[in-house]
Amino acid sequence: MKASRFTWAVAALLMLATPGIAEEAAKRPSAKDKCPVCGMFVSKYPDWTATVAFQDGSVAWFDGAKDLFKFLVDPGRFVPGRKPADIRVVTVTDYYAVKPLDAREAYFVVGSDVFGPMGKELVPFGKRAEADEFLRDHRGKRVLRFNDVNRAVLDGLE
Amino acid sequence: MKRPRPPTWLERQRYLLDFTLSSLGRRKGKNLALAALYTLVVFALASVLLYTQALRSEAMRILEGAPDLVVQRVVAGRHDLIPGDRVERLSKIRGVQEARGRLWGYYYDASARANLTFLVPDRFWGKPGEVVIGEGVARTRLAVPGEPFPVLAADGEVVVLKVRETIPSFSELVSSDLVLLSEPDFRRLFGIPPGLFTDIALTVPNGKEVSTVAAKIRGQMPDTRPITRAEITRTYEAILDWRSGLVVLVLAAALLSFGIVAWDKASGLSADERREIGVLKAIGWDTSEVLAMKVWEGAVISLSAFLAGLLLAYFHVFVTPAPLLAPVLKGWSTIYPEFRLTPVLNPFIVSTLFLLTVVPYTVATVVPAWRAATTDPDEVMRS
Repeated sequence: MKASRFTWAVAALLMLATPGIAEEAAKRPSAKDKCPVCGMFVSKYPDWTATVAFQDGSVAWFDGAKDLFKFLVDPGRFVPGRKPADIRVVTVTDYYAVKPLDAREAYFVVGSDVFGPMGKELVPFGKRAEADEFLRDHRGKRVLRFNDVNRAVLDGLE
Repeated sequence: MKRPRPPTWLERQRYLLDFTLSSLGRRKGKNLALAALYTLVVFALASVLLYTQALRSEAMRILEGAPDLVVQRVVAGRHDLIPGDRVERLSKIRGVQEARGRLWGYYYDASARANLTFLVPDRFWGKPGEVVIGEGVARTRLAVPGEPFPVLAADGEVVVLKVRETIPSFSELVSSDLVLLSEPDFRRLFGIPPGLFTDIALTVPNGKEVSTVAAKIRGQMPDTRPITRAEITRTYEAILDWRSGLVVLVLAAALLSFGIVAWDKASGLSADERREIGVLKAIGWDTSEVLAMKVWEGAVISLSAFLAGLLLAYFHVFVTPAPLLAPVLKGWSTIYPEFRLTPVLNPFIVSTLFLLTVVPYTVATVVPAWRAATTDPDEVMRS
């Protein structure tokens, strides 16, 4: 009895301490959520959904990693008043598993023949081996990490 | 004395409709025959459309639950059993979430004269020796839960299984002929050694990746044939379109003859009707009023025939087992346990039918009436 109460307490503490991917993964965009970068409805493209969760609990939805990165480069441009420091969790959708994934841990393939709702995309993967195989299968150019994506890379995807 | 208020537009139309109905009543036999013929044509067309639509939606409902990719082994151009070690190899292909070996097959039940589908579900909830049967099977074999269910095994012996329950069906086409059983029973009945499966079903979460996965399978296992869900859907669509096209072709002759009759009746006015128009004009009716009356006449006949035909077709397809169409459209019906279709009424089909029947008929009645109504009443009555 005591042990189970202790376990619950630990579980609750853990949930409070790591408000992270699992929590964000449970959320789904509603039919009204629009991508702040391109203005398209996000719920139509579950294979591509990317999210930014802010410190204040609000969430922004994107219809692909490309728009997510455009937002991250300059958040204030798309949502006035937002600063990079407000951002808590960033997720993208794993291409093979179609499940949310921590964007900071993900591998992105650019230059492939797979297009997202907004055209050329950064295709996200959870594992390096998956990214490499996708690159071979779909004639990708490069595998990038979260921090490699900058304005020059995004300009190359237009 | 106060002059009566002139009738509003709506009242005017009501009076016109009233007149039209009594005028139709004066030529009862002719109009009834026309309406009956009309109803028959709408009934035939609507039956075919409703029936194929219902079959199509049933098929799509089956396909919703179908795996993203099915891998069959092919030997000398024929389907063959696939070894179980392929399951492991297939699940390693990038993009595949899960691979499952499936066991299923057809069994000709001589006593019921029907083809049954035996299937080992992912997780069979009964014990070995038990079966769960579809409603069609239960009907044809008169089997209820607890009863024995004898089946002739591949080696000629009779294996007696027990009925555990019947499947509550959401779509009878899917589950009507189904017999679910455990894996050991299935292997015993059909003489399939352990380690072999009928085919392998793959789950590919990303729909865009299915064709890449299929291409990889073809490269890695040249003796297999990967079948995507899109291919199965296309095949179903093609078969249904072809079948309904065939029936419509047969009906085309009937449609054409109806068209001629309707055109003849609608476009040429009889001497009687010409005189009627002449009298109406002579007592002071406007051309527009004569036309409105004729539009109402066409609308009354075609609309009531349309509704009656549609209702009859609905009854024919969904309430009775569609005795006029089933043999052609269902195809395998002679050896398939009877099933009932889930009613579907597609607004697109109803409006198509409406536009093809009611609108042209109404228009065709107006043109000659307009011609008669614009000529001098004296001339109309004399001619």
